[in-house]
Amino acid sequence: MKIAIWGHELTAWATAALLAQSGNDIFLVNDTQITDPVTLMGSSIRNEPGLQDLINQQFEKQNLQFIHSGSASLLSTHIISMNPAAFDQAHQLVSGIARVRSGKPLSADQQPDKLLIINQSHFGVGSTDKLQALLDIDKDQVVVYLAENISEGEALKNIRQPKSLTFGSTNQWASMMTRALLRPFSSQLEQLLVMTPKEAEFAKLSITGMLALRIGYINELANLAEQLDVDIDVIKQSLGADPRIGHHYLAPGCGFGGNTFSQTTKGLANLLTEKRQSHLLDTVLQENEKQKEQPFRKLWRHYECDIHKLNITLWGVSFKPGSAALDSAPSLKIINALLAQQANIHIHDPEALENIEKLYGGHPQVHTYRDKYEALNQSNALLLLTEWPEYASPDYEQMLERMQAPLIIDGRNLLSKELAQSIGFTYYGIGR
Amino acid sequence: MSVHDTPAWKALDDHAATMKQTHLRDLFLGTESTSRFDTLSVSHQHLLLDFSKQRITQTTLSLLKALATDCQLDDWKARLFSGDTINTSENRPALHTALRLPANSELLLDEHNIAEDVHVNLTHMGSMVERIHAGQWRGYSGLPIDTIVNIGVGGSDLGPLMACKALTDAQPPAGHQLKVHFVSSMDGSQIADLLDQLSPQTTLFIISSKSFTTIDTLSNANTARQWLKSASDVKTELLNRRHFIGVSASQEKMNQWGIPENSQLNFWDWTGGRYSMWSAIGLPIALRIGMPGFKAMLSGAHAMDEHFKTAPFEENLPVQLGMIGVWNINFLDIHAHAILPYDGRLSHLPAYLEQLEMESNGKSVSRQGKTIDYHTCPILWGEIGPNAQHAFYQLLHQGTESVMCDFIAPARRYEELDNSELQQQHQLSLANCLAQSRLLALGDAAIAGNDAAPIHKRYRGNQPSTTVLIDELTPYSFGQLIALYEHKVFVQSVIWDINPFDQWGVELGKKMATDLLKPLLKEQPTTVKERPFDSSTEGLLSAILQKQELAKQDQTQAKEKGSSL
Repeated sequence: MKIAIWGHELTAWATAALLAQSGNDIFLVNDTQITDPVTLMGSSIRNEPGLQDLINQQFEKQNLQFIHSGSASLLSTHIISMNPAAFDQAHQLVSGIARVRSGKPLSADQQPDKLLIINQSHFGVGSTDKLQALLDIDKDQVVVYLAENISEGEALKNIRQPKSLTFGSTNQWASMMTRALLRPFSSQLEQLLVMTPKEAEFAKLSITGMLALRIGYINELANLAEQLDVDIDVIKQSLGADPRIGHHYLAPGCGFGGNTFSQTTKGLANLLTEKRQSHLLDTVLQENEKQKEQPFRKLWRHYECDIHKLNITLWGVSFKPGSAALDSAPSLKIINALLAQQANIHIHDPEALENIEKLYGGHPQVHTYRDKYEALNQSNALLLLTEWPEYASPDYEQMLERMQAPLIIDGRNLLSKELAQSIGFTYYGIGR
Repeated sequence: MSVHDTPAWKALDDHAATMKQTHLRDLFLGTESTSRFDTLSVSHQHLLLDFSKQRITQTTLSLLKALATDCQLDDWKARLFSGDTINTSENRPALHTALRLPANSELLLDEHNIAEDVHVNLTHMGSMVERIHAGQWRGYSGLPIDTIVNIGVGGSDLGPLMACKALTDAQPPAGHQLKVHFVSSMDGSQIADLLDQLSPQTTLFIISSKSFTTIDTLSNANTARQWLKSASDVKTELLNRRHFIGVSASQEKMNQWGIPENSQLNFWDWTGGRYSMWSAIGLPIALRIGMPGFKAMLSGAHAMDEHFKTAPFEENLPVQLGMIGVWNINFLDIHAHAILPYDGRLSHLPAYLEQLEMESNGKSVSRQGKTIDYHTCPILWGEIGPNAQHAFYQLLHQGTESVMCDFIAPARRYEELDNSELQQQHQLSLANCLAQSRLLALGDAAIAGNDAAPIHKRYRGNQPSTTVLIDELTPYSFGQLIALYEHKVFVQSVIWDINPFDQWGVELGKKMATDLLKPLLKEQPTTVKERPFDSSTEGLLSAILQKQELAKQDQTQAKEKGSSL
């Protein structure tokens, strides 16, 4: 199939790469002057494991190429993977496509009327219907909604082998076309749900909201456990063992970040406030913002409200392991808090240092290190903020030797509290 | 020689004899009637003052000018601005005008540039505001401060309270998000209610007191500190460091209380309490409207200072306002003054002006130490105009007292909003403002045919008023407005030959209270004979002690009963 893909989000790139690999002719819409795909991807998408190579490969094979938006409008199959805030732009491009359709067929191989647009952007509940209203569904000009389900760091795997797919379509032809397109990715599929676009959009929001609630809940419990002198690890295991609950998304920590997750949750929170006067998710989001500063507060109290001129080491600043992105990351709030208190900050991260340098490069209080132990020299405290695997079993003896004060604040409960304490560290976790 | 005996005063007395017989209605009917507004209103930048509803003519103004000249007003103005020691009873200058000098100005006091001190302090204040607005002023638990409680009384309360309310439309988002409260009352009722609703982890207290010994303020501050202590289980030193800012002229007293040096803001001996909202006492204002807003307010006041200093008598807003007040008080025998803002945002302006005018000019001894034989500051009170229309306007229209009024209203409001209802409410408020001043001035003559109404429906009129029309209420125009009244008060003090900058009348009561605290705390013999008070005070003391004793006995009995069950 010849398919135009609109948008430069991670989902757009990953979808383009994998659809090209499975034999489609993919046209990625690009109205900029940039001709090198890797340059256009930008740093955070470029770091997505496996993506850059696959994109380059597919460009070489010419299964994947850039196209100008004007020519793209003439195609009959489109995928829209745009930023949640870009609804107006999507609206414009669909009306552009509709205008082209209302004229005469432009070439013989073009089916005169039929048109499939797959929307996999989170524009909010009801927005696919708004796009559909621009087209004539009786002539099989259809916008379907496909709930994307990818997380940064695992994007290719998520698209290649989904366990479950949800799409929203009320048109038989469009449903058939969408299924056909997704067939190469259905080997592990356990369930395929088809519903109306509005329902599918709502379902997608609901899932994200549920996950946010779980994280918010376990964090609240962790903060309480701390005050009651109970270990949250034990509570977490007991919660997870209950078959009605399960173990997923029950790790307490210093808050969640990431653009997609935060924005989608915010979208649902706003909808709840506006239509229901319910502040349930709003509260979760507000508490999450507070939770991001939890490691700072532990440091603050440990040093009796004065961290002026202290050396503070951060291990991990990306919003989650496997990603270089800093979007809504807890580390940003902590760095700002430390800067305001005139502390010196020493940062290590396996992937995100470049992004940190872009934000704080040249700041006299911010220093970056390629070696995680070097970041600990003369340190008054280590704050572990991202659970990169390489931090899980560090050389404690070396750490102890390098640090000025043996203090670990583990924002992800990654380390063994008992081991750290037995070696001589003061250890604070989240809820333990 | 008393001002009473000057030729200018005598000429005004004679003129008043005629003017007392002249109704305002007739002034508007007379030959100068049509041009009355043109000749009797003056404006400067964003303020317009209409004096045409005052019981004056051009003759009145020229006689008042002669009086001002006789009283050497220009000379006094120069002494005020230059930092001369004009607050003689306290042996210091009154330099609130120095607080609003632009950056890089110079004003030497004892060969020291105080304008520089002012700006150093403003910078310090600005850095505090910035830190709090950024969410980076942290409480003992590490959470950002989101609530401010200003503890202060008198000048440390009224000015900031009034300005915060007046300038709500000038708040940047960070100032709007902050919760700002004011606590002043000595009996603890305000603070007790307030603390119940606040979170100790995120509340910062500003303790404002010029002397840092004011008992009202310090007792509230101690209650606040105790509240933090019992909530936090944290060392007092930490609480002092993270939850208190001190604003005072006494660094030593702030140190003693435990405020660390970088949480201290200064102001100086040469600023009177009721003239201090331009100093660090204005910190709550800056927290609400941001430093740019605060500086705009200072610029507005400075513009008024320059105008007061340089504009000729006929065009000088504060001079005209002050001199016409003198005319009303000393020559037309009017001793009540109502402040009537037609804008809900100015709801605290009457209380502010009550202090500014009555604490400054409520005096009866001349600068020469003689008892004076003429009236000084009248009784001043007020309320938001449209609300007062449902309260005391009855007395203004049909009572037996002559009252002079200041109507204060902004010409423009709600323009940036797409809300025609609110825009209409503003026009309605203006219509009421104009209707009331017109009716007060003209009486029945304002309404055709009303002279035929029954006597209880008749309006006497002839109540003089000034209308202060503000272009739009902004930090700048608000600064102009308040400085206008400050200088008006000064003008009148010059004519009356009194020192407007001391307040000895409030001192003795404080001392007396200290004496009376002893018997209440039972630190003194409780038998009447051994105590020196009058029989009324003794009677009240005994009644209070007796009631407290009885209640205590009841409680003990109830407790015993409870434990025996």
